[in-house]
Amino acid sequence: MRCLLFESVIAVLLIGCASDYAHLQKTQASGDCPEKILPLIIETSWYDASVDVLGRHISGLLLIKNMPDNSKRVVFTSEAGLTFFDLSFSKEGTFHTVSVIKQFDRKAVINTLQKDFALILGLPFLNRTVERYTGGDDVYFGFKEKNGTAYFITSKDCASLQRLEWSDGGKRLVTVHTPGSGYPTPAMIEIDHHTYSMKIKLTRIEKE
Amino acid sequence: MRMFDKSAKVVKARNLWVVLVVTILISGAGHAQHQGYHSVTDLAAFKEQFAAGSAKVSSIESSFTQEKVLTALTEKITSTGKFWFKRSNRVRIEYIKPYTYTMIMNGDKMLLRDDQKENRVNVRSNKLFQQINQIMIDCVQGTVLDSKDFNVAVLEDERTYLLEMIPTSKSLREFFSTIVLKVDKKDFTAASIEMNEKSGDSTTILFKDKKLNTQFPDAVFAF
Repeated sequence: MRCLLFESVIAVLLIGCASDYAHLQKTQASGDCPEKILPLIIETSWYDASVDVLGRHISGLLLIKNMPDNSKRVVFTSEAGLTFFDLSFSKEGTFHTVSVIKQFDRKAVINTLQKDFALILGLPFLNRTVERYTGGDDVYFGFKEKNGTAYFITSKDCASLQRLEWSDGGKRLVTVHTPGSGYPTPAMIEIDHHTYSMKIKLTRIEKE
Repeated sequence: MRMFDKSAKVVKARNLWVVLVVTILISGAGHAQHQGYHSVTDLAAFKEQFAAGSAKVSSIESSFTQEKVLTALTEKITSTGKFWFKRSNRVRIEYIKPYTYTMIMNGDKMLLRDDQKENRVNVRSNKLFQQINQIMIDCVQGTVLDSKDFNVAVLEDERTYLLEMIPTSKSLREFFSTIVLKVDKKDFTAASIEMNEKSGDSTTILFKDKKLNTQFPDAVFAF
C-alpha cells in the first residue's frame, strides 16, 4: 500500500513536470511557410488594455508605435491620460525603458513586460535559426533564445497563425492569441501567463 | 571704404534684429506657453471672486473632449465623454468614445469601471487617490488656490483666468510638471484642465455644453 502511494506521488510529480512540448516531432522545414506567416509586422495602433495580475485589475490605453528608425515603442497610459510606462525595442534587439512610474518600476515587472511585448512584436523571430515541429494539428516554429524558446504556431496547412508562445525548459510560460483579424492589425491580443495568474487583454481602438 | 561702410551697416542692422528678437523672446519667456495671458495683479481680490463665483455653482453637467499627446512619439488620442459634478464632493467622469471608462468620486469612495471590471477604492486608504480626488474637487469648487499641494500663478486674458499649478508634494511631482486650469470668467467654472507630465506628454480636457445648477438625480454618483 505504501509502495502504491509512493508510486502515485512519483507519477503525479512526473506528470506535473512533463514537458508541454514532449509530443512535438521535429520535422524538416519545407516551402515558404515561416516567411509567409511570420508575425513580424504590427501596425501602429492604440489598444484598450485590461490587465489582471495576481488578483489585481488595471486598465488603460496601450500604444504600439513603429518609429521612423524601425524601433518600436510600447506606451501604457491610464484612460485619464497619465503615462505609466514607455518601453523601447530597437531593431538591433536592445531594449530600454524610456520612462516608468514608481509603481511599475520593478525588475520582475519590467522583464515580464519586455518578454511579453517582444513576443507580440515578433522580435524573437528575427534573424534566428528556425526549427520546425509538428504536434497534433499544429506546426510549431521554434526560435531558441538565451532564456527560452519562442514559438509561433500555425495550422497544418500554414493558412493561419494559431498562437505565439514562450517556453522555458519544456514548460509553456506564455501564450499569445489574436482572435479575429490577425497581424498586421490584430483586433484583439490576449496574453496568458501559465506559471502565475496574469492575463493581458488588448482590444484595438478604432480612432475617430 | 564705402563697401566697408555698407557691410558695417548690414552687420549693425542684423545685430539690431538679433537684439530685438532676443528681447522679445526674453520678455515673453515668463509665460511663453500662455500666449495672450498676463498676470493678475490683485490676487486677493481674484481669490475672493473665484471662491464667491464657484460657490454659486451647486452642480455641473457637461460634455468633454480629452486629448492625450505623446510629444516624442508624435501621437495623440482623442476621447469624448460626459462629466457631472454636485456640491460638495461628488464627481462622475464617463468616457464614451472611442473606449468606455467611468470614474465616480463620492465623498471618500471612488469607483473605477472599465469594460471588464469595476474597482472600488476607499480614497482615505490611498494618498495618491486622495490627492487626485482633491485636485478634481478643488478645480471645480474654486478652492485650488488654498491647496497645499501646489504653488499657483494666476494669469488672465479677456475671457478666462489661467491657473498654472506647480506641484509641491513629492508624490504629485512624480507625475506632473504643471497642471494648467482655465476658468471661465463668466461663471468661474473650469473651461479646461491641462496636465503636463515631466516627459513632455500632456493631457487636456476641454469642457463644453456646460449646464449649471440643473437638477439631475443623485443616482448618477451611486455605486
